[in-house]
Amino acid sequence: MSLVEFKNVTKSFGAISVLKDVDLTIEEGEVVVLIGPSGSGKSTLLRCINALEAINGGDLEVDGISVRASRSEIRLIRQEAGMVFQQFNLFPQMTALENVAFGPRRVRNLTKAEALEQARALLAKVGLADRGHHYPSELSGGQQQRVAIARALAVKPKLMLFDEPTSALDPELRHEVLRVMQSLAEEGMTMIVVTHEIGFARKVGTRLIFMENGKIAVDGDPAALLDNADNPRLKEFLQHVH
Amino acid sequence: MEFEWSVVWQALPELFKGAQLTVMIALAGLAGGLVIGIVAGLMRAYGNALLNGIAFLYIEVIRGTPIVVQVMFIYFALPLAVDIRINPITAAITAIIVNAGAYIAEIVRGSFLSIHNGLREAGLALGLPSWKVLLYVIGPLAFRRMIPALGNQFIVSLKDTSLFIVIGVGELTRQGQEIMAANFRAVEIWSAVAVFYLIMTGTLTLVLRLTEKRMKIL
Repeated sequence: MSLVEFKNVTKSFGAISVLKDVDLTIEEGEVVVLIGPSGSGKSTLLRCINALEAINGGDLEVDGISVRASRSEIRLIRQEAGMVFQQFNLFPQMTALENVAFGPRRVRNLTKAEALEQARALLAKVGLADRGHHYPSELSGGQQQRVAIARALAVKPKLMLFDEPTSALDPELRHEVLRVMQSLAEEGMTMIVVTHEIGFARKVGTRLIFMENGKIAVDGDPAALLDNADNPRLKEFLQHVH
Repeated sequence: MEFEWSVVWQALPELFKGAQLTVMIALAGLAGGLVIGIVAGLMRAYGNALLNGIAFLYIEVIRGTPIVVQVMFIYFALPLAVDIRINPITAAITAIIVNAGAYIAEIVRGSFLSIHNGLREAGLALGLPSWKVLLYVIGPLAFRRMIPALGNQFIVSLKDTSLFIVIGVGELTRQGQEIMAANFRAVEIWSAVAVFYLIMTGTLTLVLRLTEKRMKIL
């Protein structure tokens, strides 16, 4: 069974139609990189997967559960699909360690000690073992984003959604986040990544999707598409991001 | 005219009794007002049309009428209208609860809505139900932002208790008035009453300062 399945999904904000009849199937283990001009619907597509945006038409199933199901089932989808935001969105009143322990404690109902132990291991995994007691405001952007990745992983998702995870970072901080994402992909995590990092798409992606005007315009192997794009719009887009 | 300190010393026990009652009415009223205010504020911020409408009506009616009229209504009109008889102190506490609740509701609404929506989404994205996101993520942040405005409201409500002189509650102002009526020493008595209020509001300010120091606004 595929992990994510879009069936004729439409989504609009008022009169503006953002997703137009999107069909898309994502299998376990895929690293899908979503690119496209701003306003093409790539972030919205991502946010529909964990029901942060409600779809208007068609159906969308995540691990067999429809996003149109009940609230409690939507919470199950959200536990399956970890999300990393452009602006990190760490909880500012909690330390890095508490941020990571938060999900397991409040969602998976672990004890505080268990959750903290797990959080320490995850922080070590993203290279921040020594930053556990720092508050988000005391961390650099790259460190905050790595904490945010650990926070999402703590709930043990089957799938990770990244919404422009490096766009708010200085260039020299991006690679530390991308490296963590790469090692996650190498462990076999299913990932859907909205990004402008073409290098990441080529090196780590197993599939590249180019979106335009609410539709999937191109879908295929990253290296092949990046080296000789025959879609003129994709070609033009790549010239601007390179 | 000379300031007679002995008049103040003699009045102290009575004034102290009045001050105790003032503190009691203010504390009980604000505790209740905080509960009502949080409920009404959350109804305004997150409730459906019906809950939102009810909270809006409550806030508008209370903010749109003077507290003296409210306490007169509770004490004199309610017994006639619906046969509820209450003593002056209960009427006073109820008036503070209802009055402060309306203002606190707007403070609560404003501070909850001022928290960046991304944090709410981050909580939801972990798979938490909305109420847990409000309780563990938004609430603690919103509370920090409420402290300065709540401080204002606490001080206003504390001083509003002096208006309950109109229903004969023996709070601080009423005690001052009664002593003055007997000895005509207006300067000494009203100075002493003012100092009592200053001590109470000053203590409140200090407590709020300490709370704010311990909880940085984020």
